[in-house]
Amino acid sequence: MMIPVRCFTCGKVIGEHYEEFEERSQRGEDPAAVLDDLGVDRHCCRRMMVSHTDLVDVVAPYQ
Amino acid sequence: MAQEFDVEFIEREDRKARFLVRGLTPALANGFRRAMIADVPTFSIDTVRFTENSSVMFDEMIALRLGLVPLTTPLDDFEIGDAVTVALDVEGPATAYSGDIETSDALVVPADENVPIIELKEGQRLEFEADAVLDRGKEHAKHQGGVSVGFRHLQAVEVVDDVGEFDDQEPQILRGVIETPDGEVVLTDEFDNDLTNRYPGKELDVTDVPGAYVFHVETDGSLSVDELVLRAAEELGSRADELHDAVTV
Repeated sequence: MMIPVRCFTCGKVIGEHYEEFEERSQRGEDPAAVLDDLGVDRHCCRRMMVSHTDLVDVVAPYQ
Repeated sequence: MAQEFDVEFIEREDRKARFLVRGLTPALANGFRRAMIADVPTFSIDTVRFTENSSVMFDEMIALRLGLVPLTTPLDDFEIGDAVTVALDVEGPATAYSGDIETSDALVVPADENVPIIELKEGQRLEFEADAVLDRGKEHAKHQGGVSVGFRHLQAVEVVDDVGEFDDQEPQILRGVIETPDGEVVLTDEFDNDLTNRYPGKELDVTDVPGAYVFHVETDGSLSVDELVLRAAEELGSRADELHDAVTV
């Protein structure tokens, strides 16, 4: 649904970076370079960002 | 055990640090690590009273997300169990961010302003009042101030010999912090975690330095690294005193 606030494994706050990550990688930047730049270094935090899909738009009509 | 420890910083930022401590036992190092995770209290949203929630998420899901938002914690001014009232009112179409949370005390505010709580569509609204409570990490993981706190041995690297002229040298991967033969303390990131980059053509011997530990500490923003480390040491000391008083007659 929404990006989790924290990384499931280590607890680092990652939610705040998701919108920028999504926007910059959609614009064609290398996602790995964007994550490095945002300070999301550990692979546990990186998978949170890479594997996430926002489903709010999908669920919204059925409220 | 009134003993001095030798502390040396390798990296030091506001929310992240790496430092070397000499003169520790493994038990004490681990006690210290656990104190940083579970014993230093931080503020976290605990009870939420929803006035209106017409978003796509259930009340419980939003309350869980709110609990995970780090709040700045001035430990000098509050005691465990103290509560601060916070509130939020956002109407769609908009996204409710952690920065939209208003608090009754200017000292306790969200540490990060851009954490999305919930995306609201046209006509949806989120309004609630909540209590942020000061408690320890052992009560609930949302109260942990330290994130990914760990330690490992300092490793001493010694040059034993030259590698034979026609021998192939395999990469020698090492992570953490090393102590070079001249007593210099170097992060392995500096030579891409491969000792053969720093000592090409040498045969090396790597050993753990007894009693020397390198701590890696990160915080979620509720406290600075300095504050977290000092509070953990204090907390550990006071618990040792408590045990001492309980045992002595």
